[in-house]
Amino acid sequence: MEQMKKDIENRIAIYALISRLMLVEVDVAFLEQIESDPDLLELFPNYMHWDKRKTLSKELLIEEHYNVDFTNLFLMHLVPYESFYTRDDQMIESGGDNPVLELYNELDFRVELDKARVVSADHIGVELEFMYMLCMALQKALEAEDKDGICELLQVQRAFLKEHLLEWTPLFLINAKRESRTPLYHDGAELSLEFLLSDFEYITAQLDSHCQTQAVEN
Amino acid sequence: MTKSMKNDSNFIEGRRSFLKGTAYSVAGATLATGVFKTVATTEIQAESKFTPTPKTLAFYPPLEEWDSFTELDGNDWKRGGTSRNGVQSEENPDGIKATEYMLVPTSCSNCEASCGLTAWVDLSTYKAGGQLAVRKYMGNPLHSGSRGRNCAKGYAAQSQMYDPDRIPFPLMRAPGSKRGEGKWVRTTWDEAMAKIGKKMHDTLKVGDEISKKSIMYHVGRPNENGFGHRVPHSMGLDGYDSHTNICSAGARQGTIQWSNDDRNSPDWANAKLIFLQSSHAADAGHYFQQAAGRIAEARKKGAKLVVMDPRLSNSAGMADLWVPCWPGTETALYLYLANRILNEKGINGEDLVNHNFVKNWVNWDHLMKDREYLQVLVDKEYIKAVPAGDSYEDFITMISEMYSPYTLDFVAEECRIEKRIVEKLYDMFIDAGARVATYIWRAGPIGHKGGWMIARAGFLPFVLRGAMAGDKGGVGLHHWHVISVNGKGDAATQNGARPPKVDVWNEIAWPPEYPLSSYEMSHIMPHLLLDDEWRNKWNSKGLKVPEKLAVWIPRMYNPVWINPDGFRWIECLKREDKIEMSFNLSPTWSETNWYCDFILPVGLAGERHDQHSEATEPKRWLSFRNPALRVALEKMGWKPKDPTRATLEAHIKAGLGEVWEEVEFWANIMVHHVDPDGSLGVRKYWASKEDPTRAVTIPEWYQAAFDKLPNLKKAAKAAYPDSQYPNYEMMRDRGTWLEEDNIFKPQERPLKKVGTKYISHGHEYAEENVRKDEFGVIMATDAHGKEKAIGVEVDGELVQGFHTLTKKLDFYCEWFKDWKWPEYAIPIYPTTKEGRVKMTHVVTQVHHDFMKTDNDFALNTVFRLPYNIHTRSVNSKHLMEISQNHNPVWIYTKDAEKLNIKRGDAVKVTIQDTVCGLESGYFIAMAVPTEATMPGVLACSHHAGRWKLKNAVDIPGFEHKLGILGLGAPLYEMTMDGKIGTLKPTQSIIDGLNSRKESWQFKEYNKDLDNIWWDGLSGSWQNAVAASHPDPIAGHHAWHQKVSMELAGKDDVIGDIYVNYENNMKIYQAWRDDLTRPLDETDTLRRPQHIKRPAVPLSDKAYAVKITG
Repeated sequence: MEQMKKDIENRIAIYALISRLMLVEVDVAFLEQIESDPDLLELFPNYMHWDKRKTLSKELLIEEHYNVDFTNLFLMHLVPYESFYTRDDQMIESGGDNPVLELYNELDFRVELDKARVVSADHIGVELEFMYMLCMALQKALEAEDKDGICELLQVQRAFLKEHLLEWTPLFLINAKRESRTPLYHDGAELSLEFLLSDFEYITAQLDSHCQTQAVEN
Repeated sequence: MTKSMKNDSNFIEGRRSFLKGTAYSVAGATLATGVFKTVATTEIQAESKFTPTPKTLAFYPPLEEWDSFTELDGNDWKRGGTSRNGVQSEENPDGIKATEYMLVPTSCSNCEASCGLTAWVDLSTYKAGGQLAVRKYMGNPLHSGSRGRNCAKGYAAQSQMYDPDRIPFPLMRAPGSKRGEGKWVRTTWDEAMAKIGKKMHDTLKVGDEISKKSIMYHVGRPNENGFGHRVPHSMGLDGYDSHTNICSAGARQGTIQWSNDDRNSPDWANAKLIFLQSSHAADAGHYFQQAAGRIAEARKKGAKLVVMDPRLSNSAGMADLWVPCWPGTETALYLYLANRILNEKGINGEDLVNHNFVKNWVNWDHLMKDREYLQVLVDKEYIKAVPAGDSYEDFITMISEMYSPYTLDFVAEECRIEKRIVEKLYDMFIDAGARVATYIWRAGPIGHKGGWMIARAGFLPFVLRGAMAGDKGGVGLHHWHVISVNGKGDAATQNGARPPKVDVWNEIAWPPEYPLSSYEMSHIMPHLLLDDEWRNKWNSKGLKVPEKLAVWIPRMYNPVWINPDGFRWIECLKREDKIEMSFNLSPTWSETNWYCDFILPVGLAGERHDQHSEATEPKRWLSFRNPALRVALEKMGWKPKDPTRATLEAHIKAGLGEVWEEVEFWANIMVHHVDPDGSLGVRKYWASKEDPTRAVTIPEWYQAAFDKLPNLKKAAKAAYPDSQYPNYEMMRDRGTWLEEDNIFKPQERPLKKVGTKYISHGHEYAEENVRKDEFGVIMATDAHGKEKAIGVEVDGELVQGFHTLTKKLDFYCEWFKDWKWPEYAIPIYPTTKEGRVKMTHVVTQVHHDFMKTDNDFALNTVFRLPYNIHTRSVNSKHLMEISQNHNPVWIYTKDAEKLNIKRGDAVKVTIQDTVCGLESGYFIAMAVPTEATMPGVLACSHHAGRWKLKNAVDIPGFEHKLGILGLGAPLYEMTMDGKIGTLKPTQSIIDGLNSRKESWQFKEYNKDLDNIWWDGLSGSWQNAVAASHPDPIAGHHAWHQKVSMELAGKDDVIGDIYVNYENNMKIYQAWRDDLTRPLDETDTLRRPQHIKRPAVPLSDKAYAVKITG
């Protein structure tokens, strides 16, 4: 449990980081946050050593490189929505019949799509932020040492990864990495998938260790 | 980790530990975007009937709910829908807002396609005491052509409706001011009708030949079927000008020569090859949205797409094959296809010619019998000798020889295309068999001198392959697939029947130099009116050419801007001795309005009545355009004070403004002002049969008009058994009707015979008055002793045949030979430089023969910008935003390098005529070097470059200034002195709009105007620089230009134009005098009587001519 308390901070940080990266265009403040922490920066190895990052201003990089890449990856040529991958007709389900939205509703979460500037709640950035929200909730449960709550939240997290994020994001992220034209999004795509896989294993292990009474479905 | 995981091609290059012992120093909360609102507490509310997300994208409210359909507010779906929040009410103020709408069907009017729309009229706001308004326009799923879908222009109907600069009431030129001064006063419809009606009355009262040529109704894109024709017709006038000659006259001419039909009509959806000549059909033109959808369906089934265009258009970009052909040389390429079809065999050794079709349905027999004409072909060196026999096989042998010079080498040189592309095109063409669909319309046929021959030759390979049979996946003809009853409400009028034929011929619309034009020569109207020498010449030869017009009536038309030689138009419109009175029935401001005496605001798509049908597929459907606010008010129980003016009254009541519609306007002005006492014999055609003291009403008119359609009539009677006007009510409620489906090969339908009488086109012919000629054509003599072809014998059966004199497709156009053009009576094109000089009438004015230096180019002007094709769409903020008003000059990258021109440079494009060598002037535009236009060919659409001379005008008595074209036209300064005209931009769109925020109308709807960002200063009014180039045969303005290009000077800015319009008059005259073969002493008719002369039906007396001197 104590280790989980330490781990949760970093899980929160990484979910926050990658959801932010995938959801809206980066800004100077966001880039500075990454660069202010060597451990975070290390998660972006190509970006860390990229010449242009050192020679060009952040404003210029954003305007001429990152935003172009973001537009290509998230708005124009790839489709970062779950329903596109899971529906037979490859339509984005933007309304109430979206299973992800139903899940948010069940858990009393509500997405502000206008703030997210996405057309549907099953956008990769929103789903990642949902994991971030679940981690925040887990943190509270850990602080309160609410074991049932902890196990329930771990179950929800595992289920959401298994049934949603890991169902479709690998395909998207592999494509995003290959299509990316900047180290930031290249590394970001790789980081995201690698982390999601690793987090799934982590959650499964925690459930095995701490929540033995609750069956873990494989 | 497996070995393969280390491979670079795999995604994960290594596994890292993310959960380090130490926490990241950046807290997650500062990184996260924060798109989740925390835990919702609202309990689920009561059940509601709403479907936040329909199960299918095709969901649409069912017809029975259209009068009252409640929908969630557009913003509220983000809040989780009614399942969480319930519906907004007094008890539940935080619930989801629901709006009750009435869906009034109508149809789009922003291009010719007439896609179905529904206007969503907000009843909730109105019932709560607010304004009755249309909140959005959606598709009409009942519409057979558009199937509920629309392009951006359809949805933009709303932003046009609530345009901040909408003309709110009739305007009149201020007394004492001159045309073009820009001084306007507010008037009323009644005052305007009284003044205009009196002028028309006084003109008609004279009653002589000239008076019947002195009122001209000049119609832009009509978007209705036949009502406008009836306006001059009912006054006994030959006074209709259309815009076909700047749009499609070349294609029509080529099609008329083959089939005596106005245009072709493909079956896209079932084709195996979609063969587009230009981006028209799939990008922007006839009938874009509907055609594009069906082309996409065909491609889904495996059809290939070929786009022939010097420009890599959107369509070409997604085509299977892009064929960039030097503009104007397409004829050569089509004849190359014909050559190979005739002279080669298929992979199994079979003939590639579809002999079954060609033998039965092409008039080869008429050609082979005309030995004299065959000798002409020899004399012209098209063939070596007159064939010995006259059999079908002899015909095929002869034309195989005739087209053999159109070789791969020749076509590659002439069209400047790579040989591999040409060969690929041929393979694709052959692979598709008879299932090749095309729509030959704008592009080549309207761009060039002899453009009509491109259409004429274009159909030849289709004919040879049997693709012109009107069968599935092939090409049919327009009149098979269209419904025209908008002008046929005669039974509702006091007279009860159609007005008689008109006895005069108006040379201002149909001048004697162009007896075969297709159709009215309206683009040279000012040239004709201002050319005393021309008029005197013809008057001395026995004609009576009017020297002026008493009343000129543009209707939703903007010839000053869209026609060539705009300064000549302005010059003419300003002359009150040449045009004594003018008024534009116009929903928006336009450059032409500026020079008129009255601007009478008529309705847009959802503000008027029209029956409108187009041949977009092998069916006959119609749209019924409805004024949405009127229909909504009437359905809620409102009654107009005057039922003949209900649309006007409804628009005033709903706060739209004093916006009317043509049907009610014309009926009222005719009955009460043009012929109030009936003495001119006009009133009876517009007075109501039910109550002759008043004009005919909309329900009366359309009840009668739709009675002409038996299936519609029957369905309406069944659906509205107790109604007095069931046809009208059904169309009011549905907005569309499919009268006939699956129309294939109607030429094969049996000739109708009942008892001893043959029936053709509604006429009966007794058996004894019918004979069969030597070619099997069934000839019938009518009551006036005139003989006409009513059918043809094919394979022993009497069938209806095509619409030609031979009842077959005319490979040999005999009447064309008789009308002075024997060398072009078959599809032909010169193969040598000398030949191109001799046969100049079918050689483009931008042929590469004329390009002598690196700085000489052909300018391709004829492509539409999909969002902005008609003048009235310029004030839609939505369309202007997506168009960005950009219209650069495309130049091939290597050409740009040679001239040191870079992207964004201002360039000077100077136009030079190749018939007489004179220069017209120049325009300054922005250059964009690109690989998407072929070497030597520039591209700049003539559909942009709007201007205005004042940002806003003061209207005495109006609460604020009235803005002009605020969203779509920058402000310019103009000079003109009778010889030279210039235009220079002085203020951008943004600055213009922001300088007069107080003038924005419909403020609630236009709150976002603060956000406009486009300055509109990248296009130029190139149309004004272009001289009129009337094609000597089809009469169309040949749009393309030979130009030179250079970097602009330091004082030049994009948008500048400089025009020598004195030269332009000489250029027009050179095209007229050097190229035409006018009527002469040998002629007894103005024009062949069997080919179409639209709008006003004329008597034999009108057709008769005697040229003297």
